This record gives sequence, C-alpha cells and structure tokens, in this order.
Amino acid sequence: MRVKRVKTTEEALNTLAEFGDAALPVAGGTDVMIQLSRNEISPDLLVPIHEIAELSTIETNGGPCIGSLVTHETLAKGALGSSYRSVAEAALTVGGWQTQTVGTLGGNICNASPAADTLPPLLVHDAEVQLRSNTGRRSLSLDDFFLGRRETVRQHDELLISVSLAPAAHRAGDVYLKVGRRGAMEVAVVGYAMRLVFDEDGTVSEARVALASVAPVPVRARGAESLLEGRQLDESTLTGVSEAVLDAIAPIDDLRASASYRKLLIPGLTHRAAAICAQRAGVSTELTGGRA
Amino acid sequence: MSSEILFTVNGRAVTTAVDGAATLLEVVRDHLDLIGTKEGCNEGECGACTVLIDGKPVDSCIYPAILVDRHSVVTVEGLSSTTTGRAIQEAFLDAGGIQCGFCTPGFIVTITALLEHDPAPSQDDARLALAGNICRCTGYSQILDAVAGAIKGRE
Repeated sequence: MRVKRVKTTEEALNTLAEFGDAALPVAGGTDVMIQLSRNEISPDLLVPIHEIAELSTIETNGGPCIGSLVTHETLAKGALGSSYRSVAEAALTVGGWQTQTVGTLGGNICNASPAADTLPPLLVHDAEVQLRSNTGRRSLSLDDFFLGRRETVRQHDELLISVSLAPAAHRAGDVYLKVGRRGAMEVAVVGYAMRLVFDEDGTVSEARVALASVAPVPVRARGAESLLEGRQLDESTLTGVSEAVLDAIAPIDDLRASASYRKLLIPGLTHRAAAICAQRAGVSTELTGGRA
Repeated sequence: MSSEILFTVNGRAVTTAVDGAATLLEVVRDHLDLIGTKEGCNEGECGACTVLIDGKPVDSCIYPAILVDRHSVVTVEGLSSTTTGRAIQEAFLDAGGIQCGFCTPGFIVTITALLEHDPAPSQDDARLALAGNICRCTGYSQILDAVAGAIKGRE
C-alpha cells in the first residue's frame, strides 16, 4: 500500500481530491489498522494526517472548537473544562491509555461506529462538524452526519477539520454513563449521555439525551428531551422520560448483549443520569443515587 | 510499495523500508529483532505490544509504522538501562509480579510511562493507567504491588 505524506491541511485536501475513494486519511490508526488487517477496507493510498498541527488545537469562541486531531487522552484530562465532563468521561473509556494517546476525536466521528463513546456527549452539546475540501467548506449538525453503521455524509475529498460545541450554560450539568461487561477496555453495551440546564427553581429549561450502541447510528432521544423541559425532576417525570428513550432506540441482539437487556438498562441509566446532571448543576432534587 | 522511515529506537537512529499497512510491532520484532515486545491479541486489546512513542504508551500492533517517521520509539529493551526501568524490574521480582511473563514487557513499558508522568500515582491512577494491559495469568495484585514497590524504589 502506498503512502502520501502531508504536512498541511491543503496538501491533505489536494491528495484526497486527486485520489478520491482510493485514499484514506489516517491519524492514530487504531480503527484503520484493525480494519485493514481484517480486510474490511482496502485503500490504495494511506494519507497520514497526524502531524497537521492546526488540526490539533482546541479554541474557545463561545463554545469550544475542537480540532479533529485532538486525542482522547487530551479530552480525558478535562481539556474542555467542567462544563463538558461528559466528553472527558467518554474519552476516558475509549480503549485503554494506549488507545487514548493516539486515537483522535475526528477518527472516532468519521469511523462512525454505532458504539463510539464520544458521540453521545458531543450530541448533547449540540456539536457541529466542519468539513473542508479543496473546493469549499461546509458545516453541519453532528446529528445529520451519520447515515448508517460506518457510513457518513463525508465525501472522499473532504477532511473533518473540527467539531464545535454549544457554549457552556449556567446551572447546567452533563454526564456520560457507559455500561459494559467489565470496567475497562469495553465496547459499550449502552452509552448514555445527558445534559440538563435548570432554572433557578430547579425546573429543567433545556434537556439533551443521546445514546450509543442502541441503533445503527448514535441517537438523540428528542421525545425524552421534550418531556424533561419545563418539568422538575421527580420519579414520575423520569418514568415517562425512560419510556420516551425506549421509543427512540432500536437495539439489536449481538455478541455483547441482547436487545432486551439493553432496554432493561434504560430506566436505571435515565434516573442516574438525571440525578448526576442535577447534582453537577448544583440543583437539589428528591432523586437519589446521583453521586458520581 | 514501500516507504522509507527514519526514526530512533532506544536512542539509536534506524532507517527501514515498510509497506503502508505495516504495523510498528512488525518493524520492531521482524526488522529490528527487538523481540521483547510481544504480540498478543494483535488488535489493541491486551497491551502486550506496548511501546513508548515520544514517551507515550501506544499499542504497536495497531500503530502504522509509517507514522513513527522522525519520532522516538522506546521498547522494553531500552528500559533495562534506565533508573525507572531498573526500579520497575526490581519491584516486579520482589513482588512476584511475573507468572508466565508474556504480558510483562507491556506492563513495564506502561508503568514506565505512568511513573515518568506522575512519580507517585495513587493505586486508582495506576489501575486506570494499566486498564489496557491484560495479564491472562490474572496476577494483578502482585503487579499493583510492584507498582507500589517501584514508586518506593525510585524515591
């Protein structure tokens, strides 16, 4: 397999334009190399982009704008700050330390695994992705980026440049909960992210709920979000929210868990996520079990 | 088609020609005869192949060799002469941290990165750092004892 080394975004874009679907960008290689060895992909040309410095930065302009080459290790250390804890929590569960040192946020997005840990937290922070080719740029909601398992709207001549998140809100809390068979080195059985913003009296003013490993693509549970907004967190609200989450997902049986087990997890995760969001927002509720 | 890569291994400059799909593990073991680094799962799950790239632990079995061009790689062989490496080796012997030994090089490399990064990690930090290293003999308690011993040994 051939290799085309590039130093800048422009060189990468020119190479992608020239070689089309025969070229594959590679950053940390943690997904690409496994897929190559399993013959799941067969590009003619690898384009190492790992040294493009401008894609490795995090800028703050209202919300954070995260370069596509920022690693899970950087995010896991809390580089985005305390308003984006769900992102750090998810990054800390992407494989082990050895994966997090080289695996990138852009790679996790473009690989579009149904189980990708960083995607639910990005969705609850209203992530937008910026794509560039040598003929133009476009920006779209991360929710519109995924077409199916390992399928995205990214064209072969486009590079994912950055991901921008909504600005941090006052009196808000977020969380990522992951269920696996063991505590580390797991592909999620269910990944569950929530972000809640509260009014002064503890009413939820804005809610986001997103999940991984419950459908071919990461899922926003919009019905659940509507049920949370305008309500106080109590048991009866969360029972309805859990039902709405179950309506939004379509889990399957696979080697990690059955569909029915995944559904069984939802009420407990909903309850726990809401309690943790409230606790992190500094809002007291009658819920229990929110310590994280 | 091969690409030439130039990098340092354990401080020594090397040049070799690799296919784009070659892993760093293949280069380290087959091109450079540094067979201390082990092939376990070959898919980034077990950590037996851990090496340091620019001081950070990486699973060499899923790392493209072409990416180490002009970077520094340290394998377990390169740690035998360092203060940290020797302290960890002694601590493994004292704690009985080795059973079949296959995972040991990977553990020693990851623990080196941990201690270079934080000289006195808590046991929780050590567990987290070692989550990507699997010991199929399940001798984890002795390995964590060895981490504690290595921390003392370096003081």
